[in-house]
Amino acid sequence: MDIFAGLLNGFLIALTPVNLLFAFLGAVLGTAIGVLPGLGPAATIALLLPAIYVIDSPVTAIILMAGIFYGSMYGGSTTSILLNLPGEAASVVTCIDGYKMAQKGRAGAALGIAAIGSFIAGTVGIVGMTLFAPVIANFALSFGPPEKFSLAFVGLLLAVTLSGSSVVKGLVMMTLGLLLASVGLDPISGKTRFSFGVTELQSGFDFVTLAMGVFGLGEIFLGLESVIKSEIVSTKVGQVWPTMRDWVASRMAILRGTLVGFFIGVIPGGGAVISSLVSYAVEKKMSKRPEEFGQGAIEGVAGPESANNAASSSSFIPLLTLGIPGNASIAMIFAALLIKGVTPGPFLIQEHPDVFWGVIASMYIGNVMLLVLNLPLVGLWAQLIRVPFGIMAPIIILFTAIGSYSLQGQTFDIYSLVGFGLFGYLLRKLHFEPGPLVLAFVLGPMVEGSMRQSLLMSGGTFSIFLERPISLVLLGLFAVLAIGQAAVTLRKKFRTRTNP
Amino acid sequence: MKRVIAVVATVMFACMVLPAVSMAADAYPSKPITAIVPMAAGGSSDLMARAIEKFWTKYSKQPLVVVNKPGGGGVVGTEAVVRSKPDGYTLYIGYGSGHDVVMPTLQKMPYDPLKDLVAVARVSIHSVVIVTGAKSPFNSIKDVVEYSKKEGKPVTTAVSVKAGAVDLALTAFGKAAGVNIVTVPFSGGAEATTALAGGHLMIGGGHPSEIIPHIKAGRFKALAVVLPQRDPTLPDVPTLKEQGINVATWGSIKGLAAPAGTPKEVIKYIEGNIRKICSDPEFKKTMANLNQPIMYQGSEDFAKFMRQATADYAKLIKELNIKID
Repeated sequence: MDIFAGLLNGFLIALTPVNLLFAFLGAVLGTAIGVLPGLGPAATIALLLPAIYVIDSPVTAIILMAGIFYGSMYGGSTTSILLNLPGEAASVVTCIDGYKMAQKGRAGAALGIAAIGSFIAGTVGIVGMTLFAPVIANFALSFGPPEKFSLAFVGLLLAVTLSGSSVVKGLVMMTLGLLLASVGLDPISGKTRFSFGVTELQSGFDFVTLAMGVFGLGEIFLGLESVIKSEIVSTKVGQVWPTMRDWVASRMAILRGTLVGFFIGVIPGGGAVISSLVSYAVEKKMSKRPEEFGQGAIEGVAGPESANNAASSSSFIPLLTLGIPGNASIAMIFAALLIKGVTPGPFLIQEHPDVFWGVIASMYIGNVMLLVLNLPLVGLWAQLIRVPFGIMAPIIILFTAIGSYSLQGQTFDIYSLVGFGLFGYLLRKLHFEPGPLVLAFVLGPMVEGSMRQSLLMSGGTFSIFLERPISLVLLGLFAVLAIGQAAVTLRKKFRTRTNP
Repeated sequence: MKRVIAVVATVMFACMVLPAVSMAADAYPSKPITAIVPMAAGGSSDLMARAIEKFWTKYSKQPLVVVNKPGGGGVVGTEAVVRSKPDGYTLYIGYGSGHDVVMPTLQKMPYDPLKDLVAVARVSIHSVVIVTGAKSPFNSIKDVVEYSKKEGKPVTTAVSVKAGAVDLALTAFGKAAGVNIVTVPFSGGAEATTALAGGHLMIGGGHPSEIIPHIKAGRFKALAVVLPQRDPTLPDVPTLKEQGINVATWGSIKGLAAPAGTPKEVIKYIEGNIRKICSDPEFKKTMANLNQPIMYQGSEDFAKFMRQATADYAKLIKELNIKID
């Protein structure tokens, strides 16, 4: 079956009332859990697994789950922008400029551009998936441990540069993030590290708890200070829609973010996170006014938000064409397919064309639904900022506590949430940017695990990272970036010395 | 539209059943039973538990509710079962996994998996299968042994986690056959098989549920099953013993357990239901989709089997001189 006929057939399946309803349900649920801090797509899909047995058709079941997954990517930016509270790793970067925009009364513009960027990226991602899925899938497989190490290593460097003003502070944050990530089971030897006999620490800290604590609660604790000093800042909602200028500024960012996200998203593990990082770095480098980044540059929201949505579309490629789940949510969808007697893999297109094309077609429809659903909500969300701090703060604390408790049903996670919140407060007082810490926490296990796997493969020699072409190119890129960054810093110093 | 109604009906049914918890009653079960799976949702233990959950209501008036409690390699959730009231309303699905039969030999446990839990029924055994990429020059175990003897180079091997069932089986194979096996641990079976599919390692091991999709896709060749007998999900793949290497392990066992002290008649009731479920043709079909063979055993046989498996693993670990702490 050729692509056109397949897609047409897919639309016929996706447009049946039941499938339309479930795509809509998925989009609504996804948006909701994306907005609610702590609740992630993986947990939601897991909760819905039993319902899969009740839904007869595998297409309908997967349409629902896929909707939840990409819907949550849409919703994830909302709390990042409004409350500086990233719901998942891929929207950490969005906090940096998104929250600054909200503070300047441009929450509506940030939310609007995030929704539009997400729509464009999601749709382009699906088009790419329709046309090139098999070719790209093989590219993803060529990423073994050495390649993953080099990729994650570049990711770490990019995370450090996020800190904006001071590279040293960025490095401090990165190191702390790596240390926090090392708590729990050693991925290679199976030993427990830094658990001090506490059973709950054996599985390490959870990303969601860390991110909600350091970003969200830290911000609230700082807010308490200004309330006590009775310096209540009345934030204006400002213009709800992005202006023509915003659109001109961010259209290329959306395009570049989409491309970056589409290709990096294919790589199993951490694809969406790294793609949002890369997109941010690219936008900062391309910008004529890089000094605005970190102060509320709209490109800093448009790029990464497009990247993580393109990545969420393209992360379906390894699943549908190779039968390889690249992240936790996709693994759940993999499990659901198995339950329905559909084995994801290269024969999926031939054996179950209805499933393959039906799901792809539903993703086109779902993205339109999300845009229609989200754009009117932008105004509503933006109004949230006007809710007095005294009402908003306890609600946020309550939701984050529920969110972290729901992860494993452990009260311990609530304690660590509060602990990380105090830590985040301290960081703000000392003017440290928490972004690199949280991202290093996500990338740390990937860097460590893949490096040690590579060394086991090579018998202990480091040359394995240089012998493999993809890895060599990535490390070369790393060197260029690092030297470039150093040169810029040195030149600035030199200039300030010569022109006092 | 029928499907939609079915979903809505299920939700409503659940809402009606849950308040029943508060009602005191005489005969077991008088309220829903919680089944803790100490692994993440979507894994092979979880998928099996969800299948049982679905068929349970066919044979019991009270539902079985699966709850995932992952962490600490399975210890966190299992400990929760051990510490719960032995009244038959908290069960453990996944009994016989690595943290029950392998871990106690390697490290200190907060409970004794054999004494603090009562075996209820065995449902499945997930054997360890040795595989290689489709493009690999290896076509049998003999080829691997010959390569190692001729080239004298280490054979890089993808395994799911350190000191897990797959790692032990492959290390034992290496020792018995005189092959320098270097096991490279990943964080889970899916990641290990992906790296092998990309051709980044020479051979690898995995459970049928993880590797059969790859075999069907023509990406993997199965070289051997590490069980005393052949695995029903892979009837064409010979065991290591058939290929002249005297190594066999029990892979990963998947059964049900209850906290020690649970009344005998309750154990009998659950055992009976699981037996009925295991012979249900629809359940058999679901398990076949999941690539998990049904290998039912009743309470007493399963308890004996667990003691045997734990002892066998302890002996193997001692022979291979594997240490963690």
